[in-house]
Amino acid sequence: MRMLEHLGWRVVRADASPARTAVWVSASLLLAVLLSALLFEAAGASPAAAFAALLKGAFGSWRTASETLVAATPLIFTGLATAVAFRARIWNIGAEGQVFAGAMFAYWCQHGLAGFSPAIQLPVIVLGGLAGGGLYAGLAAILKTRFNVDEVISTVMLNYIIVYALSLLLLQGPWSEPGAFFEQSAKMDPGSLLPLLSGGSRLHAGFLLAVAAAAVVQVIMTRTPVGYEIRAAGSNLRALKVQGTSPARVILMVMMISGALAGLAGVAQVYGVHYRLKAGALTGYGYTGIIVAILGQLKPWGVVAAAIVFGALVTGATFMQVKTGVPSALIYAVEAILLLCYLAGWAAARFRLKRVAHAG
Amino acid sequence: MSATQGETPRLEVRGLSKRYGPVLANDDISLAVAPAELHCLLGENGAGKSTLSACIYGLAVSDMGEILVDGQRLDLRSPADAIAAGIGMVHQHFVLVPRFTVLENIVVGTGSGLRLDLAAARGRITDLCARLHLDIDLDRRVDSLSVGEMQWVEIVKSLYLGARLLILDEPTAVLTPQESERLFALIAELKGSGIAIILITHKMNEVMRSDRVSVLRKGRLVATLTTADTTRDALTELMVGRSVATIEARHIAASQGASLSVRGLTLSAPRGSLIQAIDLDVAPGEILGIAGVAGNGQDELLETIAGIRAPRAGTITLRGEPMSSLGAAEVAGRGVGHVPSDRFRDGLARDFTIAENLILGQQWLRRWRKGPLLDRAAMAANGQDAIARYAIATTGPEQPSGRLSGGNAQKVIIAREFAKAQHLLLLNQPTRGVDVGAIEFIHAEVLAKRDQGCAVILVSEELDDLFALSDRIIVMFRNEVMGEVRRGAFDKTAIGRLMAGARAA
Repeated sequence: MRMLEHLGWRVVRADASPARTAVWVSASLLLAVLLSALLFEAAGASPAAAFAALLKGAFGSWRTASETLVAATPLIFTGLATAVAFRARIWNIGAEGQVFAGAMFAYWCQHGLAGFSPAIQLPVIVLGGLAGGGLYAGLAAILKTRFNVDEVISTVMLNYIIVYALSLLLLQGPWSEPGAFFEQSAKMDPGSLLPLLSGGSRLHAGFLLAVAAAAVVQVIMTRTPVGYEIRAAGSNLRALKVQGTSPARVILMVMMISGALAGLAGVAQVYGVHYRLKAGALTGYGYTGIIVAILGQLKPWGVVAAAIVFGALVTGATFMQVKTGVPSALIYAVEAILLLCYLAGWAAARFRLKRVAHAG
Repeated sequence: MSATQGETPRLEVRGLSKRYGPVLANDDISLAVAPAELHCLLGENGAGKSTLSACIYGLAVSDMGEILVDGQRLDLRSPADAIAAGIGMVHQHFVLVPRFTVLENIVVGTGSGLRLDLAAARGRITDLCARLHLDIDLDRRVDSLSVGEMQWVEIVKSLYLGARLLILDEPTAVLTPQESERLFALIAELKGSGIAIILITHKMNEVMRSDRVSVLRKGRLVATLTTADTTRDALTELMVGRSVATIEARHIAASQGASLSVRGLTLSAPRGSLIQAIDLDVAPGEILGIAGVAGNGQDELLETIAGIRAPRAGTITLRGEPMSSLGAAEVAGRGVGHVPSDRFRDGLARDFTIAENLILGQQWLRRWRKGPLLDRAAMAANGQDAIARYAIATTGPEQPSGRLSGGNAQKVIIAREFAKAQHLLLLNQPTRGVDVGAIEFIHAEVLAKRDQGCAVILVSEELDDLFALSDRIIVMFRNEVMGEVRRGAFDKTAIGRLMAGARAA
């Protein structure tokens, strides 16, 4: 800062008008594209060809577009989960673990029901997913309100615990596939699977459930007393407490709603895509959901849009690799570039450089 | 003792302007302060006093204009630059290390190099104190000092650092009347040794003791006057921009019997008690004033009655019904309104609209719901009513509360709490930091509430306000009630003694 001042500049706060924010965020996203282009160039491909392949791989046909939506589905759930918590200024970093908990609790409820009709099994897995994620997140809420444990620490720790718990259950525990070598459950009962939406694609009912969840969260946040409390907690929890609303109750409620949404991501992956319970079906969506929530500005429809962009990146990356030789793993770097550029643009909209006259 | 022509002023400000976003906080301000002058900065909240003093002390950098000390033009980039130029400032909130001794606090951070020559420092500070007739034990720990003594330490520290110009920011806000007198005696000593003092205040009786006064309004310097040539009324009019009527409470006989009755109320904290065995009664239509320096248990007492804190012992009854075990929402449901002392910390959610803040805590009430959803139409209508009734300056009920001025934010809280207060109104510093026009309005509303038969408890640090409104005044010191004074027997000296901890005879 001092150095800037010696050059005759000073950083000052600026009014973050919507127009100003829009300009800066657009500019920063453009910068993200440019930086990604450099990355592709460095990987030895023509950036134009790489972007074209990425786009074609993600949206080139109904088949690829539907794959994009399949990939977006769990991110919509975890993005919504994070958005709800962050709007209340409760830093739930545990969507990752709550995805596992949702899938595991759904499986625990459902796996004895093999042979029952979907009309019974489907409600069971959805409610099981909601309950599993919600209860697991509730644990962090109770640690926070009873024992004053910071939720960032507890949710990250709980992420580890649940991953190893699943491993234990699948490796030698009651859920392991008999006689199998892999760490996974047996194949799901056909009656428990999320129905496919169209032949010839893997798009499943979980996507519709995710869009519906976004609509419900939108209504809850803006129109109901629950959303009022979530937003009030995000703005001034103390003022809410002075008015007689229990902060412990609000924190528990926010965490359980958040965890329940994340739990559905686990259900979507296990019963919609992989048809088995295994760690590989569940890993990474919680953490990526945090990025999705932030890029979606913690708004439900913003989350849906950001999740589809991320779904497209992942889906298109494979085609890009085949077509141009750019390693598909580079797409995770692109995701990070997007986030960092967005955050930089967001901050830039709130500050500006000012020329200062040098006295003396 | 005004700046005579030909003499170099101690401080000179020329054409200073400072803009914060769309707000021009200081607009082309020029003033001069002579050595040994007590110069008052007078103005309502938001008039630009704080910005001006921040620029002079290097906490903010002006956009335009010059600051000169003893004729030297300064380029102030930080308080360190200001201190080096001989400018000192004592803030409202002291910047002392409680566990250090007085001596350590004064010399901390002043030494050059690593070696700290405490013996030499002790000598210099002892001399300083002797010259100012200050009696402080340099080896006492700061956390054992009274607030007034801590203020002395701050002043001595500035002088030790070589201050020739001292800025005092509302120094009496935390003092008892007696401590304030001691402060003015000290100011006289400082003037005697040639030190110029800028006193920021909004208390008229303090302004009248200055040599000259500069009145700020909406960022502009309205006038600089020789105090002896002006009057309180003239200054108030300059400050507000119009003449202000003072409200005297018409005293109506309170009906007999207690509406609120508190017995043996005790609130404990991990270390000692926050309030200790408080008894009080308030009749319907009576205003009970609570005097005392802030932090002597007033906040805790009101918060306990309001149900925000659970008492360890004692009873609270309102209209014969016990309510010591109720939570804040249930207490509010019994017809109790509570205006907290820190409005942005305890009273409002900044991101909420006015309409949303007006139902804070009532979000589940049927009044504001249509089935599972919030009834936005009812909330908006309620917001319109409050804006009209309390003359809140805003674009409408959907305006975010964070952008409201202090006075208008307070009106939003008052609208919400007065609507709840059917039987009891708890007011904690309702007019602090509110401009004069709004104070007048709030006082009138409090009296209207009393006339409707509501029992009122008013906590204030401004004795003038308490005298104007209260039927009775009790004084709190160190979490206890020290004594009670009835209307007709109000007396600043007596109440000041109680505020300092003397028991009523």
